[in-house]
Amino acid sequence: MLFFILFLLVHFLISPPDSYQAWHGWMRNSGISVAASVFFAALLLHAWVGIRDVLMDYVHPPALRVSALALLLFSLLAIAAWVMRILLMGPG
Amino acid sequence: MMAKPKRRRPVFFNLLQIQMPVGAVTSITHRATGIVLALCIPFGVYLLDLSLRDQQSFAQVARLFDHWTFRIAVVVSVWALAHHSLAGIRHLLSDIDVGSQLPAARRSAWIVNFGGAAVALLAAGVLL
Amino acid sequence: MKLSIFRFNPETDEKPYMQDYEIAPVPTDLMLLDVLLRLKAQDDSLTFRKSCREGVCGSDGMNINGRNGLACITPMKGLKYPVELRPLPSFPVIRDLVVDMTQFFKQYHSIKPYLINNDPTPERERLQSPEDREKLNGLYECILCGCCTSQCPSSWWNPDKFVGPAGLLQAYRFIIDSRDQATQERLDDLNDPYRLFRCRSIMNCTEVCPKDLAPSRAIEKIRLMMVKDSL
Ligand code: HEM
Ligand code: SF4
Ligand code: SF4
Ligand code: FES
Repeated sequence: MLFFILFLLVHFLISPPDSYQAWHGWMRNSGISVAASVFFAALLLHAWVGIRDVLMDYVHPPALRVSALALLLFSLLAIAAWVMRILLMGPG
Repeated sequence: MMAKPKRRRPVFFNLLQIQMPVGAVTSITHRATGIVLALCIPFGVYLLDLSLRDQQSFAQVARLFDHWTFRIAVVVSVWALAHHSLAGIRHLLSDIDVGSQLPAARRSAWIVNFGGAAVALLAAGVLL
Repeated sequence: MKLSIFRFNPETDEKPYMQDYEIAPVPTDLMLLDVLLRLKAQDDSLTFRKSCREGVCGSDGMNINGRNGLACITPMKGLKYPVELRPLPSFPVIRDLVVDMTQFFKQYHSIKPYLINNDPTPERERLQSPEDREKLNGLYECILCGCCTSQCPSSWWNPDKFVGPAGLLQAYRFIIDSRDQATQERLDDLNDPYRLFRCRSIMNCTEVCPKDLAPSRAIEKIRLMMVKDSL
């Protein structure tokens, strides 16, 4: 829980610069892509914690819950891979 | 042994008939917006991908912004983000013991609810 | 005056229904319970719990116009008509406004609501400094009416696993009691994804507590203690 909170604060500090530049992020520069990577890592981690909590509240049958969590994990990992490809491959 | 007679125990649980204090509204909206934002992630990533691919697809993304349905979707997500962030900050502050007395908590809940709406109106003004 | 009251008799009714009552006001109708008692004199099938009639025993928690409270200390003045009375939300109904509080008390017992101290019993009582005693204010006054837990969304979804505001308030009451020696065990017991951490600080509990206690604050303080502990 503590880490969760600390990490949210970091997330929040990172997020405004990102939203500025990524939308104008036509040009890439290494500083921004590092910031963007940190932002996405934080974002996805936060989404994982957040949705896991929601599922814990509402989805009770163990089998269903495990499948839902697995599905969630899989989707987030897929998004992470996708983001990495975008950020690392550069334009073109 | 006698079989235990089956007792019927209805439960009163009608969310529309249970009053929700402001804080509860802020909180459930925080959850709802969190889920909306999470659902937005793949779309956001897709747009990012597209916008970085080449000249043409960038123009395609830019054109999307001309469309009013897309703009409404953007305004909704801006509202979700604003509400979620404000409520998130309120939550974190109350975790470190700031404003967690009931009157202050009620006040900040109103501020969050209206603040989120205000940011959304602002976004609507700019975009629509 | 018009009241609309939740009725259910397990022997004759298939489903609960709302029954309207009309009763002429009299000057002694100060609190909602006064009116309920007069209604009961008219219709003795109407069932609810009550005892102390002054907010001490915790028997008459009910949902009054959508908000949990004690009928005996809810002034008639200021209530919207028709006054809608329902049993505590999410608790199984035994009859009319009487609910089954088994789950609620099970959670309460699970936090070991008694002093744990293995020192030999002193001649007289176990002493405590006035400052230490001060810390129990706002905690020991809980009358276990269930108003908070029944209005807590986290308890709605996980009543069996989440201790709920009333139980957690009492957990904190023993955690900070200078005479209790099981502080660490108590914290460890609550340090679990469900028992404490289902609370999302919605504060419905503090909103409705008829004794003006603040379970949400107690929960927050337990959390802070856990954080300090882990550092
Ligand atoms: C696009 C970005 C974001 C997404 C997709 C997202 C998603 C979520 C989700 C799904 C939850 C779970 C909701 C719940 O348990 O009720 C959550 C909780 C939370 N979010 Fe976010 N969030 C985002 C941005 C933020 C930001 C910018 C903050 C800033 C402070 C924030 C603060 C919090 C906090 C404090 C919680 C925990 C609430 C609790 O423990 O009840 N979030 N988020
Ligand atoms: S904390 Fe308040 S509402 Fe909850 S059981 Fe105790 S007295 Fe009732
Ligand atoms: S603050 Fe926690 S315990 Fe109180 S109503 Fe909200 S979720 Fe329940
Ligand atoms: S009758 Fe005892 S608390 Fe209301």
